[in-house]
Amino acid sequence: MLLNIKNLTKRFGGLTAVSKVTFGIERGEIIGIFGPNGSGKTTTLSLIAGILKPSSGEIIWKDHDISALTPFQVAQQGLVKTFQNPQLFPELTVAEHMRIACHLHVKRALGVGRLRTLFGKSMTGDLENTLTRKIDQMLELCRLYKHRNDEAGALSYGGEKMLGVAMGMVCDPELLLLDEPASGLGHDEISNLDAVLRDLRTHGVTLCIIDHKVGFLGRLADRSIALHHGAIIASGTTADVLANDAVVTAYLGKKHA
Amino acid sequence: MRFAILGGLLVALVAPWFITSDSVLAIAIYGFMSAALAVSFNLIFGFTGQLSMFHAASFGVSAYVVTILVTSYGWNFWLAIPCALLLVVVLALFVGTICFRFKLKEFYFAVVTMAFSEVLRLITLNWNSVTNGSLGITVVDKPSLWTPWGSLTFSSGISWYYVTLVLLVVVYIVCQRVLASWIGQCLAAIRLNDLLGETLGIDVFKYKLISFAIGSALAGLVGAFYGFYAGFVEPHYLSIPLGLDIVAMVLLGGVNSLIGPVIGALMLTALPHVIELSAEFRIALYGAILIFVILVMPKGIMGLITSRKNAA
Repeated sequence: MLLNIKNLTKRFGGLTAVSKVTFGIERGEIIGIFGPNGSGKTTTLSLIAGILKPSSGEIIWKDHDISALTPFQVAQQGLVKTFQNPQLFPELTVAEHMRIACHLHVKRALGVGRLRTLFGKSMTGDLENTLTRKIDQMLELCRLYKHRNDEAGALSYGGEKMLGVAMGMVCDPELLLLDEPASGLGHDEISNLDAVLRDLRTHGVTLCIIDHKVGFLGRLADRSIALHHGAIIASGTTADVLANDAVVTAYLGKKHA
Repeated sequence: MRFAILGGLLVALVAPWFITSDSVLAIAIYGFMSAALAVSFNLIFGFTGQLSMFHAASFGVSAYVVTILVTSYGWNFWLAIPCALLLVVVLALFVGTICFRFKLKEFYFAVVTMAFSEVLRLITLNWNSVTNGSLGITVVDKPSLWTPWGSLTFSSGISWYYVTLVLLVVVYIVCQRVLASWIGQCLAAIRLNDLLGETLGIDVFKYKLISFAIGSALAGLVGAFYGFYAGFVEPHYLSIPLGLDIVAMVLLGGVNSLIGPVIGALMLTALPHVIELSAEFRIALYGAILIFVILVMPKGIMGLITSRKNAA
């Protein structure tokens, strides 16, 4: 088991946003987390990524509890999260975004050797070439290559979200946590995203995707869990979860179910 | 731009041969030291996005420590500097750790660093036995430098002119190297969006602390020399108005620019002397310039120059 979440609970004052959530993620699979608005999906992901601290419960990553780590430490462990609302570095171009996102790659490659950049030595030619190739490849994969020298703020909303995925990917994650990557996207952009994510899986990345659009995730996820009021109401194969009565009721209300 | 900066440096190198007035030379010397302060402050403010009000404290603490070590304990000036810088770095790490652990940002960071700065000023003001209180300490010694051609004592205006010019160049180059290295990239990420930077694996806390410590140490370096040129140290060195002067210099010259603060500092140092003004009016003028700059040219003089160039 790559990631094992046990009894994860998060309370904000009197509100229990996530209640005793337990599930696991195996290497190489795509996990979907469904649920209507306010069901605790984003909170769950933020807890895993270290942005929020759980009130109780464990987050076991490769046999180690990572629930006390800060977000950058979690990222260093190989879990990277993207944001529902695209987060950008204002003023910077797409390529410069990718360059910053290569931070972990450079750190792993050079270690303390990075100190040399203080004394006028630019990064070694090899690493520079590797980074450029890696960035170009990822931008190509995410269909952003032709925008690489544009300011990121000038991208379409879909482009900004795709840049988020691309930045997450160049961190070399073992598990990529995607927070509603499809929300606000048009039809073409969604099929594009779908293709990109399938491509990522062939590169050996494990994905955990949350969305409340059932159609998009229904086609993509191998396994799913459904959250409602912070608790898991169904889990199993995606088809089973989507057919589950409790899930249908949570989405549509009792009358229509 | 590079040529303009090198040209400016060349002019500065030969200028003393054409400057006959001692007061003009003194303005240039104070200008260089203010510029070095402004450049180091901009590493923390403009390039890391942290509005530190601790800069004057770092400057003043170092000025006091070097002065006390030299005048009261007979230390060598050049040996006292590293001690002062070490203390400044320790203080900066202490203050920075508290502020950055609690994720204080913008206004809150400014207020808390201001409070620490004020604590240090009150210590220098009241610790009479060591600091001589509000009277400050008079510095009669002049540092000297051993050269193969004999000992060179910094007593003349010309020698101080070159010492402070070298000081400015050193501070400038250190900041430039830091910003050109991988640290600079992390600082940019933190300034523009620290949450995104953190989720991409950047240790935001560490890099904020590095920037704060380096900037403060450079301010300390300026402080070490300042007291010896001025001939005295006093609690005013650690005061908030001095910190605000530095902010004004950076805003006028241009944040996000290395050379901007140099221009801003030289202008604001020279201005009150060009148009004779009393101290009260000078503060009013500083305030007026600050308001004008923020309203009309938020990126300062360098912002105007670069936008002109891009438009052309």
